[in-house]
Amino acid sequence: MILSSTKELKDKGFEQILDFFRKKSLWMLHYCTGCGAVELPPTMTSRWDMERFGMGPMATPRQADLLLITGYLSVKSLKRVIYTYEQMQEPKWVIAFGSCPINGGIYYDSYSVINRLALYLPVDLSIEGCMPRPEAIIDGFTKLMKAIEKGEAVGYKKYKENYEWYKKNQREVLERTTPVL
Amino acid sequence: MEQKELIEHIEKNFKYKKEIKVIDGKQFTITVEKDKVLNLLSFLKLIDFKQLALITAVDWIDEKKFEIVYILFSYSHIQQILVKTFVDRDNPQVETVKNLWDVASMYERDVHEFFGIDFIGNDDLRPLILHNWKDLPPLRKDFDSLKYSNKMFGKFKKDEEI
Amino acid sequence: MTEILTFLGKEDQYEKYELFFGPNHPGMHGNFSYILTVEGHTIKKVDPDPGLLHRGFEKLAERRKWMQNIALIPRICVPEPDINEVIYSISVEKLMEIEVPLRAQYIRTIILEMARIGAFLFGFGGIGGATGLYTASYWTIADRDYLLDLFEWLTGARVYHMFIVPGGVRRDLPSGWIEKLSETVDYLQKRLYEYDRLIYNNPLIVKRLKGIGKLTKEEAIEYGITGPNLRATGVKYDTRKMVPYAAYDRIDFQIPVQSDGDGLARAIQRREEFQLSLEIIRKAIKDLPDGQVRAKMPNPLKFNVPKGEIYVKVESARGEHAYFIVSNGKDKPYRMAVRGGSYTAGLVLAQKILVGMRIEDVALWMSTMDICPPDFDR
Repeated sequence: MILSSTKELKDKGFEQILDFFRKKSLWMLHYCTGCGAVELPPTMTSRWDMERFGMGPMATPRQADLLLITGYLSVKSLKRVIYTYEQMQEPKWVIAFGSCPINGGIYYDSYSVINRLALYLPVDLSIEGCMPRPEAIIDGFTKLMKAIEKGEAVGYKKYKENYEWYKKNQREVLERTTPVL
Repeated sequence: MEQKELIEHIEKNFKYKKEIKVIDGKQFTITVEKDKVLNLLSFLKLIDFKQLALITAVDWIDEKKFEIVYILFSYSHIQQILVKTFVDRDNPQVETVKNLWDVASMYERDVHEFFGIDFIGNDDLRPLILHNWKDLPPLRKDFDSLKYSNKMFGKFKKDEEI
Repeated sequence: MTEILTFLGKEDQYEKYELFFGPNHPGMHGNFSYILTVEGHTIKKVDPDPGLLHRGFEKLAERRKWMQNIALIPRICVPEPDINEVIYSISVEKLMEIEVPLRAQYIRTIILEMARIGAFLFGFGGIGGATGLYTASYWTIADRDYLLDLFEWLTGARVYHMFIVPGGVRRDLPSGWIEKLSETVDYLQKRLYEYDRLIYNNPLIVKRLKGIGKLTKEEAIEYGITGPNLRATGVKYDTRKMVPYAAYDRIDFQIPVQSDGDGLARAIQRREEFQLSLEIIRKAIKDLPDGQVRAKMPNPLKFNVPKGEIYVKVESARGEHAYFIVSNGKDKPYRMAVRGGSYTAGLVLAQKILVGMRIEDVALWMSTMDICPPDFDR
């Protein structure tokens, strides 16, 4: 009994220490999925300088921690984004920009843009604005860091637990064999 | 050539039935039968209308017709010509112009995908932009985009979500 | 002997394979993909795969009223959104026969040139990124922010301004804005000489860009290449001069041209046009007349546009950006077709010109041609 509880404590404590370090070096995947990506270069370069938060762009999904969905997501992109997300190694987080991934935004009636991203991928954080200003992006990143430290940003665990549900939703959009209307 | 001379020149030298309408000082439309499009376009290319700016279509659903528009430009006359033709909406077919301009092949692929118009002679009409499309071509007027979006992406309730 | 030669020059020993260049590729500009068939490092076949940014603007515009579309269309092109507003406004004005006040025309000109400079700065940064000269992208993107600050002061938004509307512009310039703009123009002029030292006189960049994707005049016209890329081959044509819109017919300027038509010529052409844009802004500030900034318009949510069709094009940083708009006399556009500036370059010319190049040249070719995926995805 004592042994198991100390083991639990050990595991939890260890995880907490890991989370503390993880939040200090987030690497975001350099993949521009939508128009919000145009505000990323100013965020990364000298004026706002993202690197003071220990963040930087990373070219390959295998070494990235953060997937940014910068705005709307068309069906064709969704397929690539899911591939990319599944290639990333745990722990991994997803940030959605603007109103488009929440309910479709200005493209609510478009035949090609998905309306709610949370049906297909677990979203840890949404940043408001069309498009979000660099300040808003940095604010979102610091919020994510706090959530990671507290152990609240667990989208990737949710994705693993409810894998079947997410796959069903994804298949409905990507592998349809009959007309919709 | 000025616009007036140019129109006169076309009137005189292109014998088939046509209708010319001036939009403004820099552009005018020529409407021809669909089997004379290729003749007109090659004639215009000879009189220095070398740039094919766009091929597009308009769905006139009430008249049951598709209008196909070829937009040409000449760098020497500084004039824009909109060549138009009408095809039947139930059997939309027109000859390809990809032998005149290479760029036409991609525009035709685009129009084929969004309107379902067939270009005879263009063998590369694979889907270009849409992913796994099973419905009506989306830019046709009888395709309801909002209904499609609601049915495909919008059917969720807040409490259903994980 | 022959055996040794064939062994040395034998390209067949390389296996053919397919390379997905994009969408998730560090060299790719935006969300777009080329499927390259490669032998060793040499490209043998190119198959573009666009559509990753498709939102169906042409359909959405048909579902919205004439005035509501102003909020939608800037989103077609992200680096330079103002051209969309101006084309749309000009089309509506021409169809409705509205006269735009002169002051509004001049303000439009200033806004368009500012947006063009912003796009060029992004382009310079792209060349720097593709050649490994990251200083260039750090400098240009930081300098672009001075322009975005001015836009924010004027319109309230950094990227999508929605400032140019049918009938003129949304409101008059705030006091002190013009002075700040002149300061920024002087600053950018000073920076341009720094860019000369950093980019255009850099032997590394010059050597790298020389001969990339060489085009002749005839080819460029045949493939529908427009804008700076066309002028880099020696065709002296500029929509701003030949088919003027806004206040370009009242401003005196000379069109710069190059003759080589390769990557270096295109880069230098963009540098010259940067200079030209600064000059146009200076002249427009000097001549800026007083008066109204918006013509009298009917109730924005109720007006109908008379029957008609029109093809309006403007000169964007990437070439001829144009709309073909058809109205059937109702309160919504009947059809709106978009011709993006780099449509033909990115989809058709790429299939021809990239064959024989090496993989590392693709990103560089794309940045010298200034290929922007939203142009073909719409």
